[in-house]
Amino acid sequence: MIYLDNSATTRVSDEAARAAVRCMTENYFNPSALYAPAMEAEKEMTLCREALLRAVHAPQGSRAVFVSGGTEADNLAILGSMQSLRSGVVLYSDGEHPAVREACQALRNVQARVLPLDRDGRVCLDRLPELFTGDVRLICVMQVNNETGAVMPIREIAALRDIYCPQALLHVDGVQGFLRVPFDMAHSGADSYALSGHKIHAPKGVGALILGPRFRLTARQIGGGQEKALRSGTENTPGIAALRAAVEHFPADTDLRAMKLRLWEGLHSLIPQAVVNGPDPASDLTAPHILNVSLPPVRSETMLHALEGDGICIGLGSACSSHKQRVSRVLSAMGISGLRAESALRFSLSPYNTPEEMDLTARAAQKYYDAFKAFVRR
Amino acid sequence: MENLLLIRYGEIYLKGLNRPYFLRALLSRVREAVRPLGGQVWLRDARLFVQGVSDMDACIERVTKVFGVHSVCPAVRLPKEDFEAVCAQAAEMMKGMTGTFKVEARRSDKRYPLDSPEINAKMGGYILRSVPGLRVDVHQPDHLLNVEIRDEAYLYVKVIPAAGGMPVGTGGKAALLLSGGIDSPVAGYMIAKRGVELCAVHFYSYPYTSERAKEKVLDLARILSASCCGLKVYVVPFTDIQLKIHEKCADDYTTLIMRRYMMRIAERIAKAEGAEALITGESIGQVASQTMTALQMTNMVVSLPVYRPLIGFDKIEIIRYAEKIGTYETSCLPYEDCCTIFTPKHPATHPKLDKILESEARLDEEALIEEAVKNVEIIQC
Repeated sequence: MIYLDNSATTRVSDEAARAAVRCMTENYFNPSALYAPAMEAEKEMTLCREALLRAVHAPQGSRAVFVSGGTEADNLAILGSMQSLRSGVVLYSDGEHPAVREACQALRNVQARVLPLDRDGRVCLDRLPELFTGDVRLICVMQVNNETGAVMPIREIAALRDIYCPQALLHVDGVQGFLRVPFDMAHSGADSYALSGHKIHAPKGVGALILGPRFRLTARQIGGGQEKALRSGTENTPGIAALRAAVEHFPADTDLRAMKLRLWEGLHSLIPQAVVNGPDPASDLTAPHILNVSLPPVRSETMLHALEGDGICIGLGSACSSHKQRVSRVLSAMGISGLRAESALRFSLSPYNTPEEMDLTARAAQKYYDAFKAFVRR
Repeated sequence: MENLLLIRYGEIYLKGLNRPYFLRALLSRVREAVRPLGGQVWLRDARLFVQGVSDMDACIERVTKVFGVHSVCPAVRLPKEDFEAVCAQAAEMMKGMTGTFKVEARRSDKRYPLDSPEINAKMGGYILRSVPGLRVDVHQPDHLLNVEIRDEAYLYVKVIPAAGGMPVGTGGKAALLLSGGIDSPVAGYMIAKRGVELCAVHFYSYPYTSERAKEKVLDLARILSASCCGLKVYVVPFTDIQLKIHEKCADDYTTLIMRRYMMRIAERIAKAEGAEALITGESIGQVASQTMTALQMTNMVVSLPVYRPLIGFDKIEIIRYAEKIGTYETSCLPYEDCCTIFTPKHPATHPKLDKILESEARLDEEALIEEAVKNVEIIQC
């Protein structure tokens, strides 16, 4: 099988799986218990926290709170910081994942407003001065868009924030960017960062919210007071141990971008009608592992199922919303519609893919493109 | 004293000399439904009984879905000779109830010393004396205590309505065209309820429709199979035919020609299965291919009768029925089915036969059908 849907989820790496098993069968103690073996479990968590803070270059005084994944990390950052406010404005980019968008819209006393995207799917910087008003309390921008791979201009947004609304916190959803696009939290101006384990070869059910020194929040889940009372519940130590193993063993030396360009060049040379949605795949305005391509007029689902028949798994837009609407919300926000939107495919790579797989995928896509291009609804 | 389930049948009562045939079928269907739960099922004196099952609630749920069953009653059986003891048990069952009640006796053992009115009066009096919160109302009682004097005495208060209809297998066999939409499962259910054994034919257009779309259809078949005593689904690969139609036939006729091909293939499968009719979920005017003229054109290609139980239903009525039989939610899952992939913008609502034939002449009908039927996948649900 050729798996090119790594933005939906990834295969758990052998190192991560081993770390989890060890934590389930040997080092299975409750980290809050008082006897000595439990301290090992606690130590495992500390090591993971340190690895995460290092990986994102978190500034001095930052904390990592373990949660169940990206959705909970985003929810905790937004609802945990904004829910008790009496007034104010929260801004989120039009490309945000539903975990951010829905959380912003669920706030009662705080007004939610949208930051528009440009044709490449990146936040329009020239619209920000008018939107960054004095009552903005939180700005949510993802590091990498999950559908197009567009890398958001976080530093530029933070710089404008410092001029127009310095009191506003900047939350970055790093679920699609973590480890695959370098992130320097200390210099980016971000106040918080959400990450998820299962996108980087750790298991599902573990993630973290990194909080910079000025981020204050109240817990959303209360009880035994774990995670310094920010997230009660017995810690998922197997998940946390696996997360550390996944971070430490992430094959950072694989040239993901070279593979992505090979796929794109293959597709483009075999199917001249292929068109990229998002910034130029060669530029660093896109993530090295996500390629969003339209092959009009062959509809996305037809191509997806045809490739599936050859053992090639790809995605349509975002897996989180693909059962709800036909045309991707992000592509609409970028002004892409009609056949181009209906034929958009997302190829998302991992370091475990190979260049040969890119060639096979491009050839299979061409085979089905040629077979189906004549058959469109008239 | 023993607890058991007393099952009453409905329409079979109307049968004359061939009633035993229908009862045997009903007994078999109930036995099949109860089998996974263990226990015994028997027929005696116009009632079916179930005893000794591992889970009575599950048993009730399964038996109420069996066509031919009118209602089921969790009952108590005890020796009829000691009438005082029967009355005491009845009073015990009514304990804690308030409001009004009535006793309704049925006496199939005509040698029993008391006749039905006497049983009603005596047992009613006993309950009235024993259960303080109850009064008698013989016209509109809140609670009805049923007593049946047969080989022994049977008492029950609760009557749970069941599916009704006739036992599956007594009405012959038919092939249902099952799409995955809201209508066809309802149509199949209605015909199966008349005692007809079903098999289903589904047209599968991979890669235009997905594995999930097929799984959805099989899920619907599994829901239906609870009432239909199992359902064999023929999954027909249909992509090539659709592509050929799309390529060679007049745009406004593609849907209708596709329907005609579906009917031809379904008939071939039906005949091989020994089925005597085709069933579809069509209703007049719902879409362009379901106008009366269009239905006439689809009927023309088959010799078996085509039954369309939803012909006079509107969509809201069909949805309500689908909700009642538990297929609606599954039918609404958003996977495209083969009927809508190449829907033309303006399908013909008043099709002309000569135009259809002209388009169809461009296709190698026998080869296309042969190829599709050869590659059918059969799944037992």
